Amino acid sequence: MARYGMVIDESKCVGCNACRVACQNQNNLAPYEAYNHLEEREYGAFPNYNREFLPVQCQHCDNPPCVRVCPTGASHKRKDGVVLVNEDKCIGCKYCIAACPYNVRIIKKEGYIEKCRFCIEFVEKGETPACVTTCMTGVRMFGNLDDPNSEISRFITKHKLKQFKAEINTQPRIYYRKA
Amino acid sequence: MAEHDYLKGLKISRRSFLKASAMGAGAFVLSHELLDFKSWVHAQTEAPVITFPTFCNGCGNRCGIIASVKNGRLWKIEGNPEANGNLGVVCPKGHGYLHDLYNPQRLKSPLKRAGDKFEPISWEQAYKEISEKINLILMDKGPQSLFWVNYPQSNHQYALRLMHALGSPHYFTHGSTCYTARNAGWVTTVGQLPSNDLSNAQYILIIGRNPAGGINLGQVKCIVEAKGKGAKLVVLDPRHSETAILADEWLPIKPGTDLAFLLGFINVLVKEELYDKKIVSEKTVGFKQLVEEIVNYPPEWVEKICEIPAKTITRIARDMAQVKPKALIHRGYHGAFGAQYLNSFQTARALAIANSLLGNINRKGGIYFAKSALLGELQPKHPAPEFPKMGKLDGTGVPGRYPLGSYGDGIAHAIPELALRGELKAGFVYHNNPLRTNPNPKRVMAGYKKLELLVVIDTVLSETASIAHYVLPESFYLERDEALDTKHSGKRAQVSIQQQVVKPLYNTRPGTQIIIELAKHLGVEKYFNFNIEEANQLRLKPLGVTLGDLKARGVLFVGENWKEGFDKLETPSGKVELYSETLKKLGFPPVPKWEEPFVSPDPRDPHSFRLLHGKQAIHTHSMTANQPYLMAISHRYDMIRLWMNRLRGSQLGLKDGDWVKIKSTVGEGKVRVRLTEGLHPSCVWLPSGYGIFSKHLNTAYDIGLNYNDFLPTYFDPTVGHSMSSEIVVNVTKA
Ligand code: SF4
Ligand code: SF4
Repeated sequence: MARYGMVIDESKCVGCNACRVACQNQNNLAPYEAYNHLEEREYGAFPNYNREFLPVQCQHCDNPPCVRVCPTGASHKRKDGVVLVNEDKCIGCKYCIAACPYNVRIIKKEGYIEKCRFCIEFVEKGETPACVTTCMTGVRMFGNLDDPNSEISRFITKHKLKQFKAEINTQPRIYYRKA
Repeated sequence: MAEHDYLKGLKISRRSFLKASAMGAGAFVLSHELLDFKSWVHAQTEAPVITFPTFCNGCGNRCGIIASVKNGRLWKIEGNPEANGNLGVVCPKGHGYLHDLYNPQRLKSPLKRAGDKFEPISWEQAYKEISEKINLILMDKGPQSLFWVNYPQSNHQYALRLMHALGSPHYFTHGSTCYTARNAGWVTTVGQLPSNDLSNAQYILIIGRNPAGGINLGQVKCIVEAKGKGAKLVVLDPRHSETAILADEWLPIKPGTDLAFLLGFINVLVKEELYDKKIVSEKTVGFKQLVEEIVNYPPEWVEKICEIPAKTITRIARDMAQVKPKALIHRGYHGAFGAQYLNSFQTARALAIANSLLGNINRKGGIYFAKSALLGELQPKHPAPEFPKMGKLDGTGVPGRYPLGSYGDGIAHAIPELALRGELKAGFVYHNNPLRTNPNPKRVMAGYKKLELLVVIDTVLSETASIAHYVLPESFYLERDEALDTKHSGKRAQVSIQQQVVKPLYNTRPGTQIIIELAKHLGVEKYFNFNIEEANQLRLKPLGVTLGDLKARGVLFVGENWKEGFDKLETPSGKVELYSETLKKLGFPPVPKWEEPFVSPDPRDPHSFRLLHGKQAIHTHSMTANQPYLMAISHRYDMIRLWMNRLRGSQLGLKDGDWVKIKSTVGEGKVRVRLTEGLHPSCVWLPSGYGIFSKHLNTAYDIGLNYNDFLPTYFDPTVGHSMSSEIVVNVTKA
């Protein structure tokens, strides 16, 4: 069984938002509904200045607080590690939104809660998530963490990567390469 | 603030969403009466997907894309991996702009002005009335009183053909507000506009260009590839641009002084004999005269002008010389010297010369002459009209007027002047919106309103369409079969095609078809006895590929591979013209010479700033601001703000997000500020996609400002460009 994960190379993101809109199209989202967002950070003083964009989406935590607080089991973790919301079971109580430390869950216009699904229906057909394939600088890498020969596993072994807010022990399956 | 608070008006209800999705469907018609949303999503996921290769119209890059249609409705696009220009990826505008297909504000039939309003009319009536009026004007005032202006698309040659068939020289592009200074600088120096071999370069210096914001996907991919191989990237820009995020070094130059930087750079190459001696002796003319002038610009002098340390200039020149010819200074586009300052033409010249001294002209990892597909002709089967006898009234190419101006582009922002003087009487505006994208809109409006006949061809009621006598609705780019395109040049040329992905939703027609039908009504059908299919066949013939193959793939490689080096350039001397006899004769400096910007902010006045502008990755000109998917991003990240250096802002008592009033000699407006350390203190920077004032575009209406509102009408003396950064504004807390 595959165990899916992602690498996000922060040093390459130029904040264009192509990933946001590609994802919206892939998932038939409305203009203001987005599964990923960018956090812009500025450093230094003129002229020794720099800024960076941090792309953030559901981290598909191995220890997901959203799943723990969900009273109906709508938020759940699949065997392959992908965290999903079952909209039939979702009562829109928003506990998961409060519990998620990454601010990535949205209220859909239909009333239930959604978030990045790692494009799992497409991945199962052999495709790659839309945010990965559209990016002109190649910020994201997606693949099977359990296969030591996958591109992503080799990348993770080779580089020093960090998990977002690792200290709170959510154990994300997204690994960041710092700028 | 939560995202949806900004965008209350935008919510698409589930019901209308479902209705819209069922509308275009064929065999898989679904409706919300039959299925709940979940089943609908499931049906969506499982529905067969049909894909069509075509190219995007979200901006002028015309990227190769694969469009997916599900249940008869356009679903998404992806990059065509074979296309030179975008190498398999798509930008946010591409993904967002496709939704304009289902924009309820689209034009649905031809319109005729009736007082303050428009009334729908048939195509037949529109053609008949337009051609009657034009024929009267032509008889009365002569063919030169008619013009066509467009932001070129693949079919621009048919528009040109129509103007020539009618005897008018007045075909214009948007070039004079965009790139004509850059082009002229390169053409005068090396005979043509080259490309950048970014992926093979070891050192890339970018001056003012921002391919990660004013998106060029292929270029960004190549920069990332080069960096992966260890290349160094330096960005010289008053603003920390999106490209600067990728750079090893950001050099915030004082705006308008890029020429001084380049003169200092050349000074170091010459003084330290770091230039390519073989190339200079064999392939250039005027090195002696260049040296005589360039000794005036030691880096210590340059530092005082452009505020980049002398030792940095020296270091960059040395480091680039070390890896030459695999070192390049980006050929540029609009930013810094496309159509920005009085000194832009000389800046482009100096940049071309600096590259030449690095010996990189037509070299791997340098500046190279890209291969572009040479399409076949329609003649002899379809005779070409004669070239008009009369010259252009805007003075392009005329000594004493704008001698280096490009005849092919013309000076489109002179159209209002020519209309006010009564020299132009009737015009077509196609895929262009001069009322919003030309300097000083009050004057542009006065000029265009003076026309006896204004016909606008567009997909929505833009500012310009709003004042037209007739509006002809063009089919959306995903609805139309169009002319072949040669935009995707590169190491090997490509030909590409735009084709129908979904059937037109409304009573609209493809641009080329409109041109052909206009020709028939205007009595010049003998030059237009073809349809787009036949024209495409004929033009493809010499390339040795078939239309069927092209339609199946979207893009095809044609012709020979690029080769390094050159024998003879298309300059008068056949060599790189470090010194230009042509310029001497015309009374311009024959070797680049320092020239101040035309206007500069007052350094003693805390309210005085230069107004700069630039693109964000999410917007194209005035075309995309009305697209809810893209405007949602502008609001979500508060991107409509004016950038200002934090220190200057605090001197004015400003906090981040405060409203300010900005005022120039021609306009004023209010906007909120973004205070940042990432901008040179002498300027403010305005993103260029906003300030829509057409009431028919309600997502974008009255949001943000546009730099054109503050720009006086200028024509630089070399090419007649708009000098669009020669703006001093007064900024006060609102
Ligand atoms: S597409 Fe890539 S560069 Fe653009 S915002 Fe997303 S991650 Fe960043
Ligand atoms: S750069 Fe973006 S908007 Fe322009 S043609 Fe390419 S995908 Fe379309």
